[in-house]
Amino acid sequence: MCVHQSINITTKSSSSILFYQFTQQNLPACKPVLTPSWIVTTFLLMGVIFIPIGLVTLRTSHSVIEIVERYDTECIPEKFRGNKVSYIKDSTILKNCSLYLKVPKHMKAPIYIYYQLDNYYQNHRRYVKSRNDQQLLHGLKSNDTSSCQPEDSSNGLPSVPCGLIAWSLFNDTFKFIRESSELVVNRKNIAWKSDRNHKFGKQVYPFNFQNGTFIGGGSLDPSVPLSDQEDLIVWMRTAALPSFRKMYGRIEEDLDADDVIAVHLMNNYNTYSFGGKKKLVLSTSSWLGGKNDFLGVAYVFVGSSSIIISLVFMLLHVKNPRPYGETAYLSWNR
Amino acid sequence: MLQEADIGVGISGVEGMQAVMSSDYAIAQFRFLERLLLVHGHWCYRRISMMICYFFYKNLTFGFTLFWYEAYASFSGRPAYNDWYMSCYNVFFTSLPVIALGVFDQDVSARLCLKYPLLYQEGVQNILFSWPRILGWMSNGVLSAIIIFFFTTNSIFNQAFRKDGHAVDYEVLGVAMYSSVVWAVNCQMALSINYFTWIQHFFIWGSIALWYIFLVVYGSLPPTFSTTAYKVLVEACAPSILYWLTTLLVVVSTLLPYFLYRAFQTRFRPMYHDLIQRQRLEGSETEISSQTEVSSELPAQVEIKMQHLKANLRQRNQ
Repeated sequence: MCVHQSINITTKSSSSILFYQFTQQNLPACKPVLTPSWIVTTFLLMGVIFIPIGLVTLRTSHSVIEIVERYDTECIPEKFRGNKVSYIKDSTILKNCSLYLKVPKHMKAPIYIYYQLDNYYQNHRRYVKSRNDQQLLHGLKSNDTSSCQPEDSSNGLPSVPCGLIAWSLFNDTFKFIRESSELVVNRKNIAWKSDRNHKFGKQVYPFNFQNGTFIGGGSLDPSVPLSDQEDLIVWMRTAALPSFRKMYGRIEEDLDADDVIAVHLMNNYNTYSFGGKKKLVLSTSSWLGGKNDFLGVAYVFVGSSSIIISLVFMLLHVKNPRPYGETAYLSWNR
Repeated sequence: MLQEADIGVGISGVEGMQAVMSSDYAIAQFRFLERLLLVHGHWCYRRISMMICYFFYKNLTFGFTLFWYEAYASFSGRPAYNDWYMSCYNVFFTSLPVIALGVFDQDVSARLCLKYPLLYQEGVQNILFSWPRILGWMSNGVLSAIIIFFFTTNSIFNQAFRKDGHAVDYEVLGVAMYSSVVWAVNCQMALSINYFTWIQHFFIWGSIALWYIFLVVYGSLPPTFSTTAYKVLVEACAPSILYWLTTLLVVVSTLLPYFLYRAFQTRFRPMYHDLIQRQRLEGSETEISSQTEVSSELPAQVEIKMQHLKANLRQRNQ
C-alpha cells in the first residue's frame, strides 16, 4: 500500500544526515496509495468488526430491565387537575400519592432508583452560574457570593449553600413496599466520590437555607454537613440535556417477575409552572450501564452499510475496467 | 515592461541584487527555475489549498457541535465544553498536524514532479481550490458536527453510563463529545495527507494523546479552578466502556462519508496526481511497461491551438 521513500547518503554524520533530509524535504516516508483492494478490505474489516460489537451491545441493552412511570399528572387528585400550580404551591395540602409498579422480569440487585425530569433546563447558563464553589467548601468564611445573586441571602443573612441550583433542590420522596414489607433503599454513596470529598466541605453546615419568600425546592437538615448531604450533591452536578435522570438510591435485594411494588411518594416538587414532567425509574445495570438501544443499532447499521458499500464498490470495480493512465478523464481534457 | 504577474522571481548574479530585492522569490541560477515552479510551486499550491480547506473543516466541526448543543440548552449560551477545553482546541490539540500538512506534505515526489510537468496545470487551472472543493470541505465539517453531536447525545442520553449506575451529566457528555471531535479531526488529517514521516505520526497521534494527558492534568487541579473537569477522565469516563465504544462509533461514522468520497473519486475519476501515485506504486512492484506509462501529452485546448498555429504558419510559408 505504501510507497516508501528513502535516500542513502554516506558521507555525512547521522545528525547532519537528519538535518539534511529535513531541509531538503527528503525524510524517509511512507506514502499510502488508496488502491481498490485496500478500499474493499477496509470496508469489509469495518463491517466485520462493527456488526458483532453492535449485536453484543444490543443484547446487553435488552438484558437491562427498566421500569419507567410518569407520576406528575396522576398524582394530582381529580379536583385539583384544573389548577395544578396552585395545588402544588399550597403547603397545607398533604401531597402523598401511591403508585403500583409491576416488575416485568426478574431484576437482580442492585436495582437503581432514579427520578427523571423532562423539559427541565438544568443546563441553562444563568442557572449553572448561580453557585459558589468556595462557599460549598468553606461555608460562611467565604465572603464573596456575588455569583449566587439573587439567591445569596435572605432576610439580611447569607444563605449556605447559596445559588439557584441549591435553591431548586428536588424534594419528592419515595418509599417502596412489596407485599406489605418495606424495601430497604440505600441512600448512601449515590453521589460521585470526588464530589463528596473535594467539592463539599466536611465542616460546612446549611445555614439560613430556603428561608426566603419564594420556596424553590427542598430544605436541608442544618445538623448534617454538606459532604453528607448526598441529595444536594447529586442535584448540584448539573445535567447535560433537558431530559435527565438523577440517582435517588438503590434497592439491594432482587425483585421477582410479576411482583407488584407499591410506591408511596410525596409529590412536593413543582414542575407544573413550566410544563415539566416527572418520572420514576427503576433500572438494573449491565457492564455497559443502563438501557439504550441506540449504540447497538448504530453499530449494526454502520457495519452493514460498510459491507454493502464494499460489495457495491467491488461490483463496480470489476464491471468497469479502466486502463490506468487514461488522460481522457483529466479535467482539462474533458 | 512587465505590468502584471502572479509572482516575481529574481536571479542573483554578476549584475547585482536589484532584481532579487524587488522579487518574491530569489534563485541563484536560471536553471533552478524549473525546480522552483514544477516542484515547489506544485507542492506549495497543494499544501496551502489543502491547509485552508482543512482549517475551515476542523473549526466548523468544533463550532457546530457547540451550536447544536445550544438548541438543547434553550439557547442560553452555555457552552457544551469546559472553557479551558475550548481555549486549547486550536492551540494544542489540532494545530500541530495542520502545520505538518502545510510544511511537509508531498503528494508526488520531487523526481516525479519534474518528470510530469503537466502536474503544474493543477495549479494553473485552480483545480485544488475551486469553490466546489471549498464548499465540499465546509459541508464535510457541518456533516461531521451533526454526526458527532447526534450520535454522542443519543448513545449517552440520560441512562446510566457505567455499571455502578451513575447517570450522565454535563461533564461526561462534554468530554465524550470533545474526545470524538479531537479524534475525528485528527484522523481526518491522517486520511487526507499523502506523506507520512515520523513527524506526521508524532504530531497526529501526539495531539490525541495530549488531549487525554491534558484531561488528567487539568482534572487533578483543585475543583475551584477546574470546576466541571475535576477528575472527569480518571474517575468518571475512563472506567466507562460505553464512553470508549461511543468514541469509536462516532469517529468511524464521521470519517465514513469522506472515505467513501475518496474511494470512489480515486477509482472512477482520478486526478492527475492520483494516476501518478498509482503509477509509482505499480512501478515499485513491477517493471513499468510502456503501455501503462502515464502519457505527458498536452491539454486538449493547447493541442488545438498548436494545430491552429501550425496551420497558419504553413499558410504563411506557402
